[in-house]
Amino acid sequence: MVTSLPPRERPPGTETAPHAPHPADGGGGETGDPGRRGWLPWALPAVLLVALFFALPFALNARFAFSAWTGFRSEITWNGLDNFRMLVEQDLLTNAVTVTVLYAILCMAIQNTVSLSLALALQRTDRVNTVFRSVFFLPTLVSPLAAGYIWRGILDPAGPVNSFLGIDWAWLGEPATALLTVAFVDAWKWSGLITLVYIAGLNSVPRELIESATVDGAGPWTRFARVRFPLLAPAITFNVAVTLVGALSAYDVIAATTGGGPGDHTRALNIVMRQQWGQGFFGSASALSLTVTLLVIATAVPLVWWLRRREVTG
Amino acid sequence: MRASKRLLGAAACAALTLTAAGCGGAAEPGGTDGGKVTLTLWHNTADPAPLVEMYKRFERESGHTIELVPIPSDGFEDSTQTKWATGERPDILEYHATVSNLLALNPSENLRDLSGEAYVARSGDLYSSAGATGGKVYAAITGFPQVFGLYYNKKVLADAGVKPPGTFDELSAACRALSAKGVTPVFESGGSIWPVQILPLLYVSASNEANAYGKAIAGHTASLADPGSPFVAGLSSYRKLQDDGCFNKDITTATFENSMKALVTGKAAMVAQHSDMLPAMLAAAGGDQRKVDDTVGFTGLSSTKAVVTYAPGPIGTFYLPKTGDAGREQAALDFVRFMTGPAYADYVKSAKTFPVLQGVDGPQDVSPVLQDVKKAYDNGAVIAFNSDIPGMAGLAPLMSELIAGQKDPQKAATQLQGQVEQAAKAAGLPGW
Repeated sequence: MVTSLPPRERPPGTETAPHAPHPADGGGGETGDPGRRGWLPWALPAVLLVALFFALPFALNARFAFSAWTGFRSEITWNGLDNFRMLVEQDLLTNAVTVTVLYAILCMAIQNTVSLSLALALQRTDRVNTVFRSVFFLPTLVSPLAAGYIWRGILDPAGPVNSFLGIDWAWLGEPATALLTVAFVDAWKWSGLITLVYIAGLNSVPRELIESATVDGAGPWTRFARVRFPLLAPAITFNVAVTLVGALSAYDVIAATTGGGPGDHTRALNIVMRQQWGQGFFGSASALSLTVTLLVIATAVPLVWWLRRREVTG
Repeated sequence: MRASKRLLGAAACAALTLTAAGCGGAAEPGGTDGGKVTLTLWHNTADPAPLVEMYKRFERESGHTIELVPIPSDGFEDSTQTKWATGERPDILEYHATVSNLLALNPSENLRDLSGEAYVARSGDLYSSAGATGGKVYAAITGFPQVFGLYYNKKVLADAGVKPPGTFDELSAACRALSAKGVTPVFESGGSIWPVQILPLLYVSASNEANAYGKAIAGHTASLADPGSPFVAGLSSYRKLQDDGCFNKDITTATFENSMKALVTGKAAMVAQHSDMLPAMLAAAGGDQRKVDDTVGFTGLSSTKAVVTYAPGPIGTFYLPKTGDAGREQAALDFVRFMTGPAYADYVKSAKTFPVLQGVDGPQDVSPVLQDVKKAYDNGAVIAFNSDIPGMAGLAPLMSELIAGQKDPQKAATQLQGQVEQAAKAAGLPGW
């Protein structure tokens, strides 16, 4: 799960919706030119970290995707698109991209739906809700591999879930349910975190707006659909981007639950990458890694741009 | 490319020094202390206690220190390859003895030639099919090969009036009889991925006397995908067994631990596995050796005759990577000489393993199942045909697709042949 954000991303909850100035920002709204001055020193640490740990390794490693690099010989030679061609010929690349994208969409949809519902239920800060928030946050602290192994046991055909339901179904072993089930496990693991972000977002909606809407006769659903949801845009931007991009680079939960099976139904890009690496095919493994990176960039940049634009116009 | 790798390493190192003690230099193993050195040994976490005890004994007797770097047995090849690819080299590497795995280490560049060592001459023809390539011996094999065959529950077979099958036709017949009794005939462990390749490998062994088929594939005089080839026939037979309902219903999720338990408890009649699984079987029986002895038998199996298949394993197989440090290289060589020298007899005795060096007595008090394994091995075992072929690691994931019905045998064989070609060309094998 990738939890890093583009450096320009502000923490949700501290965001200010353009049409609804937050009381805490002194009504500065979008006209705050003074806020934009002197940003460089603040951005520099993040820029340096991204440059050193992302841009530089990326630039240095990208070329290996186009190289004949294996454990079988010392020379690393340029081979153009051979790695990609070979991965396509062996039925590996196309399926892996499809599985990865499908998995990311499922993860994003499940996590955001579940988390937003939980956030609405747990928004008010009181003792009971605090306990529940902590409980739902606990899985975030569990190692993804451990979470995977635990759920593998729980979802075993002879495991407690089937015993409870009184059915005999291999949740992780049937093509129809394997990917969805793994996405559910990923959602279980991360929904607590996403919920907290939504709670922060909901609590940043000015109370007077809700009260005004109530006075104007808006019911709970209208208040949510017309007032709170539009003002949640910054939190949605964060959560959708994080869940989608994180799931695109999925490895750990899949490795621990299905290992890519049944067949190749959950064989995401990073699973194939690991298999290629284990066989000593480092060039083709690098090609798969590059594919993941490009997929993340190609998804994240337009997505964040669109969602941010929606924040402004929404 | 090499320059960029160094640059990347330096960059990563520079970054890491922000939080850690630093790279190279001080943290590097192998500092000398009055001629005594520290040797790094990448070892499999499945090393049995008697083997680990031998490492400690070497330390006591030589004065050198061994720094054990554990490589998890789950994902052992991946993890070793990952560390290896970074350019990191241990003084001693415990790894597979099969030529296919050896080739992926680029031995002529990276490993020391041990052909002249005394143990090679005492190992019979072991190194004609393992631990050696290009006429040079690189491995020091101390462990008995993994012997693959069919474990069976004696009582379950007897109750169904079935004799232990030695051929796939007999296996099919046994399957029908056992299914009629409501027993799972063969327990397969697709959840662990690798075990499901064992049955097809066993099938091919009847065609692999003197490793003839393996050599033909490795030498590119035959293709895995040749219509009607032993490999395609093996996959087809596997598929037929599956279609006939011979396997457990949870084949896609079951692990090899599940298979051992199912066998010992009689829920399943047979499991295709290797001899190093006996400790797992003992664990499945709650540590009750007598129960294992009374319950479990072992037989060879192939397409047409009851022959066992063997493959040299990673446990107790050592390589000496070139490190360029004369003191440590000498100490590492001393380690190999220690393991294959007078101490070897003690290891065989304490580990209750069978010796691979001549002139060393076998262990006492070996369990009846292991005796069955040894007897079957001595009656003429055939090396697994994939032992010398690079690129065959792709078989296990393909079997997963075959089981899921996504690939037919011919298509799976064609795809695997592509992977073999990729690896063989990279390894520069003659004929490719």
